[in-house]
Amino acid sequence: MTTPMVEVRGVRKSYSGVEVLKSVDLTVNRSEVTCLIGPSGSGKSTLLRCINHLEKHDAGELRVDGELVGYEARNGKLYELSDKRVCEKRSHIGMVFQRFNLFQHLTVLENVTVGQMQVKGLDREKARVKARELLARVGLEGKEKHYPSQLSGGQQQRVAIARALAMEPKLMLFDEPTSALDPELVGEVLDVMKDLAKSGMTMIVVTHEMGFAREVADTVYFLDGGIIEESGDPRQVLTTPSSDRLKNFLSKVL
Amino acid sequence: METNGDVAIKVVPVRHVGRWFGLAGVALFIAMLVHTTLYKVASAEKTCLTVDGVKTCHGVLVWRFQWNIVGKYFLSSEVLHGLLVTIELTVISMIIGIVLGMVVAIMRMSPSRILAGVAWTYTWFFRGTPVLVQITFWAFIGALYPHVSIGIPFTHIAFAHINVDLSLTTLDAVIIGLGLNEGAYMSEIARAGLISVDEGQIEAATSLGMTRRQTLRLVVIPQAMRVIIPPTGNEVISMLKTTSLASTVGVLELFGAVTNISATNFKIIPLLTVASIWYLIVTTVLSIGQYYLERRFARGALRTPPPTPIQRLKNDLRGIASKFRTRRGIIEVAT
Repeated sequence: MTTPMVEVRGVRKSYSGVEVLKSVDLTVNRSEVTCLIGPSGSGKSTLLRCINHLEKHDAGELRVDGELVGYEARNGKLYELSDKRVCEKRSHIGMVFQRFNLFQHLTVLENVTVGQMQVKGLDREKARVKARELLARVGLEGKEKHYPSQLSGGQQQRVAIARALAMEPKLMLFDEPTSALDPELVGEVLDVMKDLAKSGMTMIVVTHEMGFAREVADTVYFLDGGIIEESGDPRQVLTTPSSDRLKNFLSKVL
Repeated sequence: METNGDVAIKVVPVRHVGRWFGLAGVALFIAMLVHTTLYKVASAEKTCLTVDGVKTCHGVLVWRFQWNIVGKYFLSSEVLHGLLVTIELTVISMIIGIVLGMVVAIMRMSPSRILAGVAWTYTWFFRGTPVLVQITFWAFIGALYPHVSIGIPFTHIAFAHINVDLSLTTLDAVIIGLGLNEGAYMSEIARAGLISVDEGQIEAATSLGMTRRQTLRLVVIPQAMRVIIPPTGNEVISMLKTTSLASTVGVLELFGAVTNISATNFKIIPLLTVASIWYLIVTTVLSIGQYYLERRFARGALRTPPPTPIQRLKNDLRGIASKFRTRRGIIEVAT
């Protein structure tokens, strides 16, 4: 049996005394799509950020591809990884943000090549070929020379997905990728994500798009107040919720 | 052109009466300025003429601002040499200041308390003492430290005695003084630029696997430049004139050169005019450079870059020309 892509066991995280994650358990298998849903402030984004070590978790065990995140276990002790090792591990995990966070001073093409060249050490030509291929995949041929500020939100988010994919990640994290978009632009981003899911990418998606969760997700986790209230097959969880909290939440978002 | 069906709308523009009065006022002021700068006054020197045995004397008319003397010294070798030294001082101390400022700003923001503390102390000290004092200090450093030894402080244990002459040439002393002082100011400007970059940019770079250093070099600094350049341009122009303090320790830069000349011929005002005109010329050139540098670093921040002054002038002239054409009743054909 292969190890799961992500294993979260009893992970806790507090910010200045406020516990945002209270012993969270979660398993993401390879080539599966997992959606995290829940009200704002429930800890979804924090959990996502802990997985690529943008935030340090305070307790519990977090493994990606079988390896501990941020630490190394030797002789029964945990050693903190050097910044360089953390960066190296992060480069295998793609992340897409709510507010796109494209590099404003770089063109679309440069946004997609900069990581390949600087982190993976590819030469310019190879990086460009790959970037053009990915931009075509997200439907943005011909926009290579544009700056992010010249694109619509949906186009920017698709560039952000291409930028993350350029690193050839084994896992993609999406932090509310459509929440900052105008309603008519949500579809184009979700379509790209659906394609990606079909291609076998392992994905964790924090989202408020219940339609997407139902259609694409293999597993849905409902977080509330830093704990996982309910999880399972989306058709079951989203249509016949067992907890009152989830019923309450779904009645508001649907 | 705005059209209503096929017929262009005819509009009587709003009359700005106040602007005409303003224009008249400005025109009058400029005329007064031209008059006074070109005014000739009778000089103390007298010339006498004897015509038919009658001797009449009168003062020679000379420019109030003695433009003939300004012209005589404007391109003299002493002045040009002084100008060169001024530019040299400005360029080298600004390079030291900018590099130092950038490093200190990055240290200030380091997670290491020691680095941040060193950076803070540096800025505190060099911003908190007059630059004139600092220049003088470096000029006389050799007198303060005739010998240098490296050892443990507060004991007589020394690892090495070096009998070097620490005295610097006055030019080097001024460069060090100005550079260190400028670094303190530049560090605050650079820090303002660095913290102006959106946190999300740093997170995006981090999530791609970039190290702290790569993130700074590739993402943060290029975007911070947009904020850093305008006040840095200000600093360069300010530095150009602060270099005149070098004359106090005997460096013959532009100001030193002209005061040197006026000390022998007592033509103080014309020679200060020479220096001022040169300072203005260099400032103008620097401002133009700053404008284009700002345009370069605004890439991506603005959807359409602003027109260059030359483009703007062309547009204005085109606008005025078309106005005249329509005034004269010539129908403009919309293209």
